[in-house]
Amino acid sequence: MKAIIAATLLGVIMMFTGLFVKDKRQVVMIAVIAFLALLGITIWEVQDASSAAPAMLFNNMLRIDSYALWFNMMMAGCTFLYVLLMGKDIMRVGNHVAEYFTLILFILCGIFLLTGYNNLLMLFIGIEIMSIPQYILAGADRRNLKSNEASLKYFLMGAFTTGLLLMGITLLYGATGSFYITDFTFLRTDALNPMALAGILFILISFVFKVSAVPMHMWTPDVYDGSPTAFTAFMSTIVKAGAFVGFLRLFHIAFGSLSEHWMLIVALITAATLLVGNLTAVFQQSVKRMLAYSSIAQAGFMLFAIASVNASAWQGMIIYAVAYSVATIGLFSVLIKMKDYTYDGFNGLAKKQPALAFFTTIFLLSLAGIPLTGGFMAKYFVLNAAVQQGGLLWLVIFALLMAAISVYYYFRVIIAMYFKQGEAEMAVEINSGDKILLGITCALVILLGVAPHLFLGSI
Amino acid sequence: MNAYELIFWLLTVMAISCALGVILSRNPVSSVLFLIATFFAVSGHYILMNAQFLAIVNIIVYAGAIMVLFLFVIMLMNLNADTEPQKNRLVQLAGVVSGGILFLVILAALKSSTNNMLEQTATDIGLIKNLGKTLFTQFVLPFEIASVLFLSAMIGAVVLGKKGEDAGA
Amino acid sequence: MLLLQIDIAFLIEKVILATVILLGSLGIAMYATWGERKVAAIMQDRIGPNRAGPLGLLQPLADGAKLFFKEEIIPDSSTRFLFILGPSLAMLTATMTSAVIPWGPDYVTESGRVISLQVADINIGILFIFGVVSLGVYGIMLGGWASNNKFSLLSSIRAAAQAVSYELALGISLVALLMMTGSLSLREIVAQQHGFWADGYFTWNFFKQPLGFLIFLICTFAELNRAPFDMAECESELNMGYHQEYSSMKLGFYLFAEYINMFISSVVIATLFFGGYNFPFMDEVLAGTGQMVFAIICVLVLLTKAIGFILFFMFIRWTLPRFRYDQLMKLGWRSLIPLALFNMLVTGLVILYALN
Repeated sequence: MKAIIAATLLGVIMMFTGLFVKDKRQVVMIAVIAFLALLGITIWEVQDASSAAPAMLFNNMLRIDSYALWFNMMMAGCTFLYVLLMGKDIMRVGNHVAEYFTLILFILCGIFLLTGYNNLLMLFIGIEIMSIPQYILAGADRRNLKSNEASLKYFLMGAFTTGLLLMGITLLYGATGSFYITDFTFLRTDALNPMALAGILFILISFVFKVSAVPMHMWTPDVYDGSPTAFTAFMSTIVKAGAFVGFLRLFHIAFGSLSEHWMLIVALITAATLLVGNLTAVFQQSVKRMLAYSSIAQAGFMLFAIASVNASAWQGMIIYAVAYSVATIGLFSVLIKMKDYTYDGFNGLAKKQPALAFFTTIFLLSLAGIPLTGGFMAKYFVLNAAVQQGGLLWLVIFALLMAAISVYYYFRVIIAMYFKQGEAEMAVEINSGDKILLGITCALVILLGVAPHLFLGSI
Repeated sequence: MNAYELIFWLLTVMAISCALGVILSRNPVSSVLFLIATFFAVSGHYILMNAQFLAIVNIIVYAGAIMVLFLFVIMLMNLNADTEPQKNRLVQLAGVVSGGILFLVILAALKSSTNNMLEQTATDIGLIKNLGKTLFTQFVLPFEIASVLFLSAMIGAVVLGKKGEDAGA
Repeated sequence: MLLLQIDIAFLIEKVILATVILLGSLGIAMYATWGERKVAAIMQDRIGPNRAGPLGLLQPLADGAKLFFKEEIIPDSSTRFLFILGPSLAMLTATMTSAVIPWGPDYVTESGRVISLQVADINIGILFIFGVVSLGVYGIMLGGWASNNKFSLLSSIRAAAQAVSYELALGISLVALLMMTGSLSLREIVAQQHGFWADGYFTWNFFKQPLGFLIFLICTFAELNRAPFDMAECESELNMGYHQEYSSMKLGFYLFAEYINMFISSVVIATLFFGGYNFPFMDEVLAGTGQMVFAIICVLVLLTKAIGFILFFMFIRWTLPRFRYDQLMKLGWRSLIPLALFNMLVTGLVILYALN
């Protein structure tokens, strides 16, 4: 709860900063402090949680357990890293720098609600608080028609699927007479209400959209490609992780006992997501667009955590969210400094900027899931959860196959950097501060691969 | 059939036919007008449920403000039926089939679950006093936190709409 | 079930009341047009209408007859249905508001039957008025759009933007008032303003909410599209505004709806802020006269207050020049809304302080 309040208040403070502080650099500095404060508060909250019993707040509207606190902390940490790496790039997007940070803080507030909701109303509000600022951020580059298109497309589709979510909630309410996700006791009886099933289906579709899984993925490439790169990095990582944790909570806590009804659907969605995401990523010419499709493919892996209803899945979700977010944010922070977003733009980067190329390689390896990187551990955790679940072995094998395909397009960037001749041009100067930060990010990726349990705490 | 049921069915028929009118009419302005009529029918339902506050707020906010803005935009853009892009036949067919299947699913779901229907009883929950009390006790968190949502929407209006040196597009 | 329990006497009583109120407001609106001309004439040192009847008193009738006998023209390029719907809606919304206004105190017959001088005492009376007012703009918008005329469209869009903007401040200024009254029922609100002086302070809400009254009044001008906010029909920019293509009685409806609106708004202001039908020493008057006479006095008091406001509206119209459109928007969004919020905040603080 402290985190939610802090995110909101810091957001409001950031908003007023825009009024009083005219120098963009100072705004970024204040934003860094704000995000550091938020991280501090989430850490404090983790330390402060005296017992393992979850805190029920506001007439059971929120159920904040240690998992939620830990996840909040991880997300606040990732966002802090993101702001450190990308702060200067956010500054270049447009005039309303303080407002951008405000919106990011509000998105975090939404994510914190999604990690702790116990009521479908809170789920809805959390998702909306998370989504609306994203529509705005997607259109923040007003001169760019592609950015406008991204914003409008995202908004229309997002509003429509929010409608589906509401329809699902309505049906569930009609079937159960309750909004509390721990209240759906009727679901455990044999006489299953078809109305509730229809509701679950609607909610599933809506979540599939929010996490950009196939078949609701069509918006993803256009939106991620059109949005300012600085915000794509945030939208495709931390926000996606937030949507996933909301998904996970609802389907494991509320509908977990019904898993035989929806597991096959989720498994098929997972398979389709992996297939479409990876195969389409292969044919992309722009690295940014490739990353958009790769984010679909990575969502496929995260869907494993949804499909397997057990404790390992929850662990896997955290590890995957953090590993994927850190590596992708790192990758985007390199990409945004390039002049040319195509593969050819990376030609010869190793000669010009050896350190940058090395960091990029590590991030790519992590995304591909090569051992000793965070990505490997993440994939191991979620696939392990699926194996424990049983009955999903075919999907695990399929996922491994798809991971092999993903190696192809991730390595294309590495090959371009190291083995192709060319003049990779940078759009902005790289200073030693950037390199140090990227180095820290890299270290985090490796640390995740070597000692994932550090990132699990007591979960 | 007593008077209550008569009104209920009248409002229901009005709501559904107007809702159909929204999607079937070619002219966007008449779509909006049908939507307004739908809101009125729904407000009528609220009154039947003794929720006068909700009914009137529905009219003030949706029919009176939001729809005015809709109409505003549509009138300014001067949309005509001709400007509507022609859709592929195949896409139309796919839409009809999938929509039909969805309709069947919902129909089946609702048909077989009559046991959970809420009985219409005299209730005071919709009166403004009770509504306010519930909002500020049981639902205080969603009520308050929704302000973050509105604040971000307002920021969005400023960020996307304010005239500035970068408004070149 | 619900409808069948209603007794016939009650129904007849309400129908008569509604008819009287409707005809009354039509009559007052009619003579408001005459009054407007006279006021304008006096302020401009002219004589005004003086041909039809003594002091031109039959002028409104002559005008009405003229409008009825004029040729009906519906432009070819207009959207016919909406073109007719526009003035009808304007008239409908103008007359609907009067249903919730308490015109006088309850009248108790010997048999103990209570006859209320209010068509409908719904517990959300103010919100009902607010809802109807917010719908009022549709008449102008639809008419303007359906005319298929550039000026009409511009004018109707202006009117819509103006109405939506000023509704916010209007609503917020009302919230402050409602925080004090604690009720949304107009009957309650009037009953609370009983008499003029009680417990060492004025009972009328004007003395409790002066700032709220000011904001409400300004917003009412804007909602009525009255000068100095008559953007919808500012003839120097938009020819005649939204009713340019209208003729005959459809034009008459638009013009007439404006005056009915003005009358009803005056009654609403009087009811909300100036005690409705209450007047000083009303208890003594009730004791001195019979119930019937008292009720009539009360209604007359309310009408007097309303006519006072109508005259005020007219004085303003012939005194102040029209605002420019951007000034209007600035005033609404940057001055009135913050001011109304401030008023609400102060009211809340005072109530909190008074409660402790």
